[in-house]
Amino acid sequence: MAVVARTESPGLSRFVLPIAGLIGLGLCVGGLLVLLDPQGGANLLASIYDALGNTAGATDLRNGSGDQVIAKLLLAVIALAVGVGGIWLLFIGVGSLVSLLQAKWRDRILPWVFAGPALALLAVFLVYPAAGTVLRSFQNDLGQFTLANFAVMIEPEFTQILRNNVIWLIVGTGASVVLGLIFAGLFDRIRRESLAKTIVFLPLAISLVGASVIWGFVYAWQPAGQPQIGLLNAIVVAFGGEPIPWLQTSPINIICEIVILVWLQTGFAMVVFSASIKGVSGEVIEAARLDGASERQLFVRVIVPMIRGSIVTVATTIAIITLKIFDIVYVTTGGRFNDDVVANRMFQEIFQFFEEGRASALATLLFVAVLPVMYINLRNFRRQQAQG
Amino acid sequence: MAKRLWTTSVLAVVVMMLVVACGASSTSPSPAASAAASVPAASAAASVPAASAAASAAASAKPAAAVPKVPTGYVELDKALGADKPFNGKTVSIQTQWIGGEGTNFAASVADFATATGIKIQIDSIGSSHEVVLKTRIDGGKPPDLAMLAQPTPILAYAAAGKVQDVAKLMDPKKLSDEHPATIGLVTQGAQIWGVPYKADVKSTIWYPIKAFEAKGYKVPATWDELIALSDKIVADGTNPWCVSAGGPGAATGWQLTDWVEEVVLKTKGLAYYNDWISHKVTFQDPGIKDAFAKVGKILFTDKYVFGGNTAIVATDQKTPMDPMFTDDLANPKCWMQKIPTWYGPDFFPDQRASGQPSKYIIGTDVGMFPFPTIDPAQNNAEGSADTLMVLVDRPEVRAVAQFLATPEGVQNWIRAGSAISTNSTTPADWYAGAYKLKVAAEIANKAAGIGFDASDLMPGKVGAGTFWTQTVQWVNSGGTNTDAVLKAIDDSWPPTQ
Repeated sequence: MAVVARTESPGLSRFVLPIAGLIGLGLCVGGLLVLLDPQGGANLLASIYDALGNTAGATDLRNGSGDQVIAKLLLAVIALAVGVGGIWLLFIGVGSLVSLLQAKWRDRILPWVFAGPALALLAVFLVYPAAGTVLRSFQNDLGQFTLANFAVMIEPEFTQILRNNVIWLIVGTGASVVLGLIFAGLFDRIRRESLAKTIVFLPLAISLVGASVIWGFVYAWQPAGQPQIGLLNAIVVAFGGEPIPWLQTSPINIICEIVILVWLQTGFAMVVFSASIKGVSGEVIEAARLDGASERQLFVRVIVPMIRGSIVTVATTIAIITLKIFDIVYVTTGGRFNDDVVANRMFQEIFQFFEEGRASALATLLFVAVLPVMYINLRNFRRQQAQG
Repeated sequence: MAKRLWTTSVLAVVVMMLVVACGASSTSPSPAASAAASVPAASAAASVPAASAAASAAASAKPAAAVPKVPTGYVELDKALGADKPFNGKTVSIQTQWIGGEGTNFAASVADFATATGIKIQIDSIGSSHEVVLKTRIDGGKPPDLAMLAQPTPILAYAAAGKVQDVAKLMDPKKLSDEHPATIGLVTQGAQIWGVPYKADVKSTIWYPIKAFEAKGYKVPATWDELIALSDKIVADGTNPWCVSAGGPGAATGWQLTDWVEEVVLKTKGLAYYNDWISHKVTFQDPGIKDAFAKVGKILFTDKYVFGGNTAIVATDQKTPMDPMFTDDLANPKCWMQKIPTWYGPDFFPDQRASGQPSKYIIGTDVGMFPFPTIDPAQNNAEGSADTLMVLVDRPEVRAVAQFLATPEGVQNWIRAGSAISTNSTTPADWYAGAYKLKVAAEIANKAAGIGFDASDLMPGKVGAGTFWTQTVQWVNSGGTNTDAVLKAIDDSWPPTQ
């Protein structure tokens, strides 16, 4: 609204703004042209070098050598300027155009002007490919309608995959939430709270792939009698046991992989819960204590119900992660040991088996499975907003 | 408050560094190594004129530039090598899976040509995710100009989707076919040729520690019975005869098991049967295939045959199965034999893996190869594989590079490094002289009645990169007790012919 107000003010800005806008538009178009040309960055920098009299540098650049790094940096700056400045110009430009309309129309159109680009991007990059994927899942390789891609899902090969995803969903989400809750509740009462929380929270900074590689070393197996380089088997052997191939033995391997996710996500759950617990009013807690509640009763019967909203949010977030889980399985075993999951199979179907239809069917299945979780999350969000 | 925050951050950093340090000190490399190398036109070592290339190979200390003599028989290649260098400064991109030593060797193979023509050859060495990256680039409409693939199945799939150039239109198809008689058929459909065969590997090799074999009085086995007798003798002497990895980690687990089965099928049933098996005229449940599984199972599942047993087969990284062989500098091997193709080498030896420096173990002196023993003397076939070049974009300079890679000179510098075999039959035999690896490979190829191409690479992807791998892994996990179920599962997964 501030923008609209400024364009309506009389005087110099009435001329300055349109002119500046036109110049900006010209720069944007020029920037786009440079970005679209594969050699754009190098050529532009070469022209600048020519203008500055550095002919040798310019020739090097045009031949693909010389200061290519600077050319790339230049491209990055242009991309940033066009991206941010272009959107800014678009909003201001269209905003000032709309402001010329009557007040009645202006108020109706203006929200769409600002929401429009985001909606358009959403349509192009999310809705269109999603619809395409669903469509493809009902087609065979010749483009004819078929249900065969979904029919195979009842074969044992695929039911096992679906079963594994359910295990991930229940165990992964459950363990992360319960552990997060326990840590949040306990750390609330110790002196070095931030230190303890930092330690639990740290793994979240590690990528799923990185975590899988790290845990791959924990689970590593060597034949009995060889030095065990894996932590877990080193412990097992130290206590006189036989080394266990953790990642190759079904169904332990699924649990071992879930542990990696729990290690990462517990910190996230704990931080959210911890903040919510701090938000529970001291009066309520004091009242419960006065009524004779034990500490455990206080936590389970008073605090947990009061932070129910956070628990639902965290649980649904982690549930979506477990449904879509890919990285951990791909890195540790590739799903070769009865531990395959939907997302990994989807990747294999498309990149190794060239089965686009079946991969699309798996993607559709995953999409449908995530929808109810999203719905719970949104409903919870709305309820919290209504309360707030 | 501020102080507390600061202390916490310092602690966080320290913990972080510890985690990173633990990760870095581990011996196994990260799963998806990738690197990009490019060969600048000015960096090649030799600048001997192309005309003297043939004559001076042996005489001069510096080898002659690996560039074919004009006229080469290919139009664009002749042009590129012309005195006026018409393609000077043009860039041609090529994506390969070769990293490490193989990456260096391929870069060397094209370096002289880049110098002679001024064409800049940009090599994208992707490593283990090569196929995925390539598919993304091709489907995304911005493919590399050229790409190397080890499997004909995806090449034909890309061809069917109209993504690959028909090389019969880009170069003399007769010359190309005549010079690559053994491999061109894999990518030929009627008059159309979907790739240029480049490099071949022999898969029928078993690696072993030469000196330790001699010290113990073990003899290289020539027949299956001798192989079993030797294995039993090694077990009796107190160690395990076999080092086996299924080819893992991750999704690659299984390919070496398919190699084992293929080898035995070729050596028991012959080429015609083998090819019928690839096209599923012979099913996996056929007695001949079942018999092959039984023979492979004899090696894999006999008690004490494999170092670490069944679990080691599926849990061992394909880079490390021979590590126990190197115990006490190869003096006291804990396992003695690994079936692995000729492309295997020092990249996988424990000392080079640990240090990154060239291995101190010499192939041919310390570690050697012997041909996979004969099973049925009437079916003396060997198994091979080939890397094939796909042309994805048609430009004159791309044609020139593709034509160059079709000539023996296209792989000459890799041959000089002692670890490549050209698919081109006009390659002079003396190029291979002195290289142990190539000598063994040539011996196998020459003695074999026929060469079968890797069957799993020719079966539909669903089977050849899918169930054939996953089911044999299941088979190993169960110690070979579920052979019938495994064979049925593979047959059931065969896609219906459309």
